[in-house]
Amino acid sequence: MKSLLANDYVSVAVRVFIGFVFIFASIDKAADPEAFAGSINNYRLLGEDLTTLAATILPWVELLCGIAVIAGVFMRGSALLLTSLLVIFTAAIVSALIRGLDISCGCFTQDPEAGKIGWTKFAENLILIALTTFLFYSTSVKFTLQKYLSERANLDTAGHR
Amino acid sequence: MSDFRQAFREGGLILIVASVLGFSYTATMEKGFFAKRSEVTVLSETSSAEASAADAPLPGPKMIHLPEAQQLRNSGVALFIDSRHEFDYKLGHIAGAINIPLKDFDARVGELGGYPKDKPIVVYCDGAECNSSIEFAAKLFGSGFSNVRIFFGGWREWTAGNLPTEQEAQ
Repeated sequence: MKSLLANDYVSVAVRVFIGFVFIFASIDKAADPEAFAGSINNYRLLGEDLTTLAATILPWVELLCGIAVIAGVFMRGSALLLTSLLVIFTAAIVSALIRGLDISCGCFTQDPEAGKIGWTKFAENLILIALTTFLFYSTSVKFTLQKYLSERANLDTAGHR
Repeated sequence: MSDFRQAFREGGLILIVASVLGFSYTATMEKGFFAKRSEVTVLSETSSAEASAADAPLPGPKMIHLPEAQQLRNSGVALFIDSRHEFDYKLGHIAGAINIPLKDFDARVGELGGYPKDKPIVVYCDGAECNSSIEFAAKLFGSGFSNVRIFFGGWREWTAGNLPTEQEAQ
């Protein structure tokens, strides 16, 4: 397990994948927070103000975390935030499915297809949670801005001596 | 433990920057908390005098209750649209209602092309637990239909009142 966490190639692949997933997911939501608020509202878990607050901030959290993960800076913080968000989203999906809520249209429906969409989303989220947890514990620093910056700082310090 | 301390510090910083960006963007674009006013003005209660003037143009989609919905259906002046899934519609719907699920709005709004834009349309979905009728009505109003009503009590209230329904043959 330790060797996997230290593996540079696995880490870079997971960073690029997770980064792009969240950047793509965030752009539409950031540009149109009202539509995103409508989607959050479909879960009927938050009040109006909290829904608007979540729709205002969350897309930007996803975008910043996506960029940070690809760039390799603030990786632990980004991985922690993304994992927390995914756990919350997954809990919301499960609660909606248990209540028989069709997330796509915001209706109670007996359409068997609605349930299928929900459980697929649930499975997708579990995979993403596994990957963001991996990033949190990953010890690889290959191709990271963090490593580049610390190397430059070391060089500068050495140069000043 | 230090992993978590560092992660919390970084995560906190990301949250702060995301909040600044989110609020700046919505303030600039007048969205979210800074939206001037929702495009959908759902007018509240309907008086019986207003209800009788079914053809009068409305400034936005209007919420109606069971008596007015019943009156509009009985008089035959309004088109009833069921915005639920096709599956639910087939199981049972308000007699005479057509089905356009919310998710198919853009693809199917053209089907209403022959319907006069100023004639009353009543949109409904499942009931109080459902908001697709509100979203559907807003889209309809945005497409130029000026006489849109939302029967928010929807299918549940209609069936609770033992009013006429239809079912598609299975």
